[in-house]
Amino acid sequence: MNLYDLIVKKIKDIQGTDDESPITNISTSSMLTAEITLISSILVALIMLRLVSKILMIVAVLVVLFAFLVAMPLMPRFKKEQNDSLAAMMFYVILALAIVIALFYWGNLNV
Amino acid sequence: MNSLIPLMVIVPILCALFLNLLHKKDRTIKIIAIILALILPALPILANYGLHYFGGYVPLIENPTLGTDLPSLITGTALNTFHPAITYSFQSAQKIFVFILGLVGLLAVFTSLFETRRPSGVYGYMMFMGIAAITAVLLTDDIFNLYVFFEIAALATVGIVLVSNIKGNYETALKYMILGGIAAPMLLLGVALLLGVTGNVNITDIIYSLKNGLVNPQSPVLLMACGLIVFGWLYGSGLPPFHTIKSAVYSKALPSGAALVQAFSVFTFIALGVIILRIFSYLPFSQWVILGVSLLAMILGITMAILQTDLRRMIGFLAVGELGYIGIGLGLGTVSGITAGLFQAVNEAVITAFLFIGFGTVLYQTGISDTRKLGGMMVRNPKVALLVLLAGFAMAGVPPLNAFQSKLMLIQASINAGLPELGVIMILLSIVTFMTFMKAFHAVFLRPKPADLEIKNENIPKATIIAMLVFLVVCIVFGLFPQVVTSYLQPLATSLGGVV
Repeated sequence: MNLYDLIVKKIKDIQGTDDESPITNISTSSMLTAEITLISSILVALIMLRLVSKILMIVAVLVVLFAFLVAMPLMPRFKKEQNDSLAAMMFYVILALAIVIALFYWGNLNV
Repeated sequence: MNSLIPLMVIVPILCALFLNLLHKKDRTIKIIAIILALILPALPILANYGLHYFGGYVPLIENPTLGTDLPSLITGTALNTFHPAITYSFQSAQKIFVFILGLVGLLAVFTSLFETRRPSGVYGYMMFMGIAAITAVLLTDDIFNLYVFFEIAALATVGIVLVSNIKGNYETALKYMILGGIAAPMLLLGVALLLGVTGNVNITDIIYSLKNGLVNPQSPVLLMACGLIVFGWLYGSGLPPFHTIKSAVYSKALPSGAALVQAFSVFTFIALGVIILRIFSYLPFSQWVILGVSLLAMILGITMAILQTDLRRMIGFLAVGELGYIGIGLGLGTVSGITAGLFQAVNEAVITAFLFIGFGTVLYQTGISDTRKLGGMMVRNPKVALLVLLAGFAMAGVPPLNAFQSKLMLIQASINAGLPELGVIMILLSIVTFMTFMKAFHAVFLRPKPADLEIKNENIPKATIIAMLVFLVVCIVFGLFPQVVTSYLQPLATSLGGVV
C-alpha cells in the first residue's frame, strides 16, 4: 500500500462510518501537503541543534527521519489528537504545564 | 494631555455599560456605538507620551516635599523610587498598538451593527469591554492589574461567543472557560510568587529589584514564577496546547466578533511576551522557550489549517500559525528581530480581521461556512471576491502588502541572528499559508455554484465593504511605507534588544 492509499484509509478511519461525504482529491492532497510540511519543518528545525552539538544534530535528524518514515502518515494521527474533545485538550494542557514548569525549574538551575 | 491615557480604558468601559443599559433601543445603540467607536482610534493619536499614576500617587523621588518629613530609611533606599500607584505607561509602541486595536474595534463594531437586523446591546457590551481590557493590558505597568484585565478579556471573549447565535457556541465557550480555569490561576500564582519574592507588582520596580541585587535572580521561586507566567501567556494568546480551543472560539463567533477576538489574542501575546522579556531577560532559556513554542504554533497551526473544511476554523488555525511569526521575532531577541515581530503583530491583527470579515460575507449571504457546500460566489460578488483575494495575498506575504515587509524583516533578522533555519521554515510555511488560502478561495468563489446552495441575503451591507476597503488601505500603506509603523516600534525593540 503506497502513501496515498494509506492517507485515504486514515481519512476514512477519522471520518468514521457516520460521515457519508466522499474522500476528495482536495482533502487527500491537503493531507499530503500537511504531511510533507510537518516533516520538512521539523527536520529543518532540528538542524538548529548544531548550536548545541553537531553530532547531536546528525543523530537527532537521522533518528527523527527514521521514526517519521516508520510512522507515516503522521498528519491523520495529529489531526485526531487535535480534536475538540475536552478530555484531549485537558490532557495536553496538563502535560504542557508539567513540561513548562519542569523546563524552567530544572533547565535554568542546571544550565 | 496625560489625562487621555486612562480615558483609553475608561471610554470603552463607559460605552459598554451604556449599551447594556440601552438594550432593545436599537437606534440609540447604533448611534452611541458608532460615535464612541470612532473615539477609540482617535484617543491614542491625540494623547501625549508619558506615565499616568492612578490616585496621583507618584514615586517619592518625584515629590521631594513629601519626602522631607520621612526617615532616610525610606528616602535613602530603593523605596524612594518605587511606584506606589497603579501606573499606566503610554509610549510610541503603545500608541500604534492601541490605535490598531481601536481601528479593528471600530470596524468590527461598524460591521456588526449593519449585519444584524437588531443590534444587540449585550453583544456591543462584550466587544467594548474586551477592547477596554486589552487596552489596559497594553498600557499597564502593574502585573496584578494586568492579570485582572486579562481575566476580563477572557470573559468578554466567552461573552462574544455566547451571544453569537452559531451552532455549538455554548459548548465551545464552556470548554474555553474550563481550560481558562486551569491556566488563568497559574498566571495569578506566577504573579503571586513574583510579589512574594520582590515585594512588588510594578514591573519596572521588579526589574529594578532583580538588577540591583535586592533579590536573588536565580531563586527557584522566580524560575517557577517565570514558568507559570509563560503558561498563562500560552493560554491568553492561543499558543499550543491552547491552539485547538482558540481556533474553535474564533469559529464559533460571528465574523465581526472573531475579527475582534483574534486582535485580543495578538495584543495579549505582545503584552505578555514583552513582559516576559523585560523581567526574565537574564534567563537565556526564556528566549529559547519563546522560540520553541512559536515554532510549534506555526507548524501545528498552518498544517491544521490546510486540513480544515470549515472556512472560519481554517482562518482560526491560520491566525494561530501567524502568531508564531511574532514569537520568532521576540524570541530572536535582537533589535531587528523584535521590531519585525512587533510589526508582524500589527499586520496580523489587521489582516486576520480583514479575512474574517471578508469570508464573513459568504456566511452572511448563505449561512454556510463548509467549503464543500459552497461555490460560485465570484459571479455574485466579484468586488468582494477581489477584496478577499487581496486579504489572502496579504496574509501569505505577497508584495507590496504589509505582511511581505514584516515577514521579509523576520527572515533577515533570523539570518543575522545566525539562525537561517528559522528563515527557511518561515518561507516554507508562508507558501503553505498561500496554498491553504487559495484552496478555500477556489472552493468558495471559483468553483461552480452547487445546485442546492441557497442565497439567504442578496446584498452585502455597505458597511462591510467599507470596513474591508479600510483594511485594504492599511495593508497597502503599511506595505509601501513600513517605516510609518516601525519608527513607532523601534524604541521598545531597542530597549528590549539591549537587555536580552
